Amino acid sequence: MTGIFKKLLSKFFKNIFKKKKKVKLGLYGPPNGGKTTLANKICKDWLGEEMGTVSNISHETREIQIKEEITIKSKGKELTFNLVDTPGIATKIDYEEFIKEGLKEKEAKTRAKEATKGVIDSIKWLDDMDVVIVVLDATKDPYTQVNITIIGNLEARDIPVLLVANKIDLKKADIKKVQSAFPQYEVIGISAKFGNNLDDFYEALFRVAG
Amino acid sequence: MPHQCVKCGTLYDDGSNEILQGCKCGGKLFFYIKKQSLERKEELIRLTKKEKEQIEEDIYDIIGNQIDKEKTIVLDIETINILKPGKYEIDLVNLFKKQPLIYKLEEGKYMIDIIESFKKMRDAHDEK
Repeated sequence: MTGIFKKLLSKFFKNIFKKKKKVKLGLYGPPNGGKTTLANKICKDWLGEEMGTVSNISHETREIQIKEEITIKSKGKELTFNLVDTPGIATKIDYEEFIKEGLKEKEAKTRAKEATKGVIDSIKWLDDMDVVIVVLDATKDPYTQVNITIIGNLEARDIPVLLVANKIDLKKADIKKVQSAFPQYEVIGISAKFGNNLDDFYEALFRVAG
Repeated sequence: MPHQCVKCGTLYDDGSNEILQGCKCGGKLFFYIKKQSLERKEELIRLTKKEKEQIEEDIYDIIGNQIDKEKTIVLDIETINILKPGKYEIDLVNLFKKQPLIYKLEEGKYMIDIIESFKKMRDAHDEK
């Protein structure tokens, strides 16, 4: 008798605490575009804590990072999501580039190996994403194989996309060029580092994911 | 289509016993080489023994530790190309197409469905 009661009780509690499916919001893009800087900014703004470490040497994020249940608010609206920061996607990873940035050979080779695994991981996780923010460096040429492949695949999978042209605090930044490369998407120019234009970014996020 | 042992660089024809049972050097990891990539065999042969061993170790690290090292594995180098330790070329178009990194070519040759292994890794990660 006690057994049946226990079972019923546990079923009751399980139902109460059953998790709702959360929106998975992925940050994707080439290395060093500012994905983790933006993730940190979002976490700092809404949770008061940072998500991961950033570095000038590319491929700093080599493992998928998840921050759960972030709720953002704007003009009376609310949006809750799990934020997924992904390793940068590249077609070529060469340890010698890391040596030029000051790493020792062994460290550089390990970083190259982990970065390669990170690219595979990022791509495998793509199907799990409900919405993707593609973070591009606005000072760089947007017409690259990496950018075109990522965005083309998101389009083919019908995943809603918000395109962010980051680093607008730098003189070389050219939002128009990013916009003309991907005219099918709305492009929001921001500086994740200095927090420029983030209100527009959050508004756009509501439009895409809300 | 030839297969090349990652460890010693020896080439074997399709269907060779060595691909099923492992190379005579003891290696169980093979590159699957398409005809147009045959020049690659030269590159691999030029690498030092240490470099080849390092590549073999790195491949096991990248494709995950669920893989049984006792079994023969054939790698599709069209998707991830390791030029030498620390130098990688990734074919994004094919990777996005979810083509497996490792193929089963015929009976007896081992296949690892990398997408499934990643899914398992992810599920384990989610449960944590």
